[in-house]
Amino acid sequence: MSALPVSLASYIGLSAVMFFVGVAGVVLRRNPLVMLMSIELMFNAANIVFVAFARAWMHNAGHIFAFLVITVAAAEAAIGLAIVVAVFRSAKNVDVDEVALLKG
Amino acid sequence: MTNVIANPYTSADWNVLYPLGIVALGALAVLFVDLVSKKHAPKWLTLALAGLSVIGAGVVCAQQYGQNYDAFGGGFLLGGFAVVMQELVLVAALGTLALYATLGDEERMAGTIALLLWSTCGAMLMAGAANLMTIFLGLELLSLALYCLCGLRENAIAREAALKYLILSSTASGFLLYGMALLFGSTGSVALAAIAQAPVAGNPMLWIGCALFLVGLAFKLSLVPFHAWSPDVYEGAPLPVTAFMSVATKVGALAVLARFVDAAVPSAGAEKLLLPLWIIAGISMVAGNLGMLAQHDLKRLLAFSGIAQVGYIVAALAGGGALGLRYALFYLIAYTFMNLGAFAVATAISTQAEEGSRLANYHGLAQRRPFLAAAMTFFMLALAGMPPTAGFVGKILILSANVGAGYAWLAGLLILGTAISLYAYAKIIRAMYVRDEHAHAREAHPVSPLAWASAAVCAAVLLVLTFYPLAPSNVIPLVR
Amino acid sequence: MNPYGPVAIYLCVALAAALLFTFLPGLLGRGKPNPQKQEAYECGVEPTSAVAGRFPVRFYLIAMLFVVFDVEAASLYPWAVQMHALRAFGLIEMVVFVIVIAIGYAYVWKKGGLEWR
Repeated sequence: MSALPVSLASYIGLSAVMFFVGVAGVVLRRNPLVMLMSIELMFNAANIVFVAFARAWMHNAGHIFAFLVITVAAAEAAIGLAIVVAVFRSAKNVDVDEVALLKG
Repeated sequence: MTNVIANPYTSADWNVLYPLGIVALGALAVLFVDLVSKKHAPKWLTLALAGLSVIGAGVVCAQQYGQNYDAFGGGFLLGGFAVVMQELVLVAALGTLALYATLGDEERMAGTIALLLWSTCGAMLMAGAANLMTIFLGLELLSLALYCLCGLRENAIAREAALKYLILSSTASGFLLYGMALLFGSTGSVALAAIAQAPVAGNPMLWIGCALFLVGLAFKLSLVPFHAWSPDVYEGAPLPVTAFMSVATKVGALAVLARFVDAAVPSAGAEKLLLPLWIIAGISMVAGNLGMLAQHDLKRLLAFSGIAQVGYIVAALAGGGALGLRYALFYLIAYTFMNLGAFAVATAISTQAEEGSRLANYHGLAQRRPFLAAAMTFFMLALAGMPPTAGFVGKILILSANVGAGYAWLAGLLILGTAISLYAYAKIIRAMYVRDEHAHAREAHPVSPLAWASAAVCAAVLLVLTFYPLAPSNVIPLVR
Repeated sequence: MNPYGPVAIYLCVALAAALLFTFLPGLLGRGKPNPQKQEAYECGVEPTSAVAGRFPVRFYLIAMLFVVFDVEAASLYPWAVQMHALRAFGLIEMVVFVIVIAIGYAYVWKKGGLEWR
């Protein structure tokens, strides 16, 4: 069984699906943690496109960009968790679902 | 494995980043001093270190004026535009430091100021950024620090505002980033300038990429369909943070937008690509000013005002001419000082316990603090674009740019928006000068020297700017 | 045959089986609900609160710090792979990077972020 070449279109298709799952997650869910995870999905969808095209164009700017995005996403997740914790503490409410996120 | 990767950058590249580096080192120094002091660093020392680094960066940056250099392979374009934008961000940071001197609490001062300085770095990076990577890095550095700053108040509203800002703004970053990925895919380069060379016909990826990129930027600028976050976040955030946010994010995002427009205009489909942008700028002018009418909080009011003001500035870019860009920059400079001034007055009438942002606090201010009332009146007139101020001059310049570029409808919307906004600004002025029968019950606010000084400086700068048209018209040579 | 063919067949069979066993009881069984049957548990004490437990906030704090320092470690790998090629320039860059992270780490430590409370 030889390695099957995966076409560029399938990478883009996969990333588009991931991106829309992420957008749907942010729009439809009301739990801040799930929303943060959905945002990570959007970022990683972009990463797939960057890496796929880095190979297609033989241009490693895409790889570097993907690395940058991973770092930024980690910082974002850390800050997101910090803010969620702060909201819990001031709301005296440990259940994430009950934080009244405004209109969204 | 003995091949050597040579360092491709020379000292000329690093020189470009000196102002940024000074601010970043300032932030590290602030943290370090806090680390080695017994309990926490004294407030004056933190503020002095931060102020020194901001002023130092401003001086170094000013010396770069007149140089043109493509640093880091086109990642950061040094030139008149980048220098002016960086100076504006530094002015915003300095103004915010003055407000923190009045309002901040000592215990968490060091962390707050460090975050503020890093946020400043992000906006400064955006000012010169010309490829997708530096734009993204600058934007995230700016935003991530701002999310934290918004939540730094022991109060449920502030924290909810921070959460809301985090989620909505990160979503916008996601759109922007996906747009960048598609732009990279369709052009094969991370340089913004590559957009112009890419074939437009039969290249849907380029179109979708540009559209997502613009949606992300429009969100950061809070242009109208994407503006809903800004009044809530402005209201929840601490007063100095609101002041910084209302200037620095807009300066940074406008710098990127201007570069994008500049890069896209030579391409074949630019007319069609950029038209939606001018349309939402037009809608923002009217809708932002309409939104102001119902507000009872200065921060919310200035949020809506900011939506409209950014609408004016984006409209000035319509047509992509050099003249429009220069007028946009002029208005942005004026806007920076108007907004900082208004927030300085709001800070001057604040107490530790309560921020002076409710409009009710301004009743009869003229009797208690005539200087503050006069300064506020001046800033409100400037925001409204009334004659003796730089706001008026800026609006006339934008109108002429619009008509000259064939966008008379934008000029019409600008006049309509201005007419609507007059009522809202006049409401504040009237409240300050109306006779207050409870005057004896209210205490005059203690004089806070730094807030007063920054209000005075902002007013003075606005007065000087009013005479801009008399100055040689090449005051801001915008080579790039 | 396409090398991914068996995987596709496997996925189809698994999906069909899952759907079958989900909906078959509803078709075959006779539903006669009554209040006793509707309860979460048919015996024992009535449930009074959400079943899922709550995590103490400190887990989030640890998670937050872990994410940051984890990615910091990940950033060292590409440099480590190319360490010889990057020479002194790479080394200096990394030293600066680690110093910045170390100040952050010391700050977290001093402010009590690493204490289990």
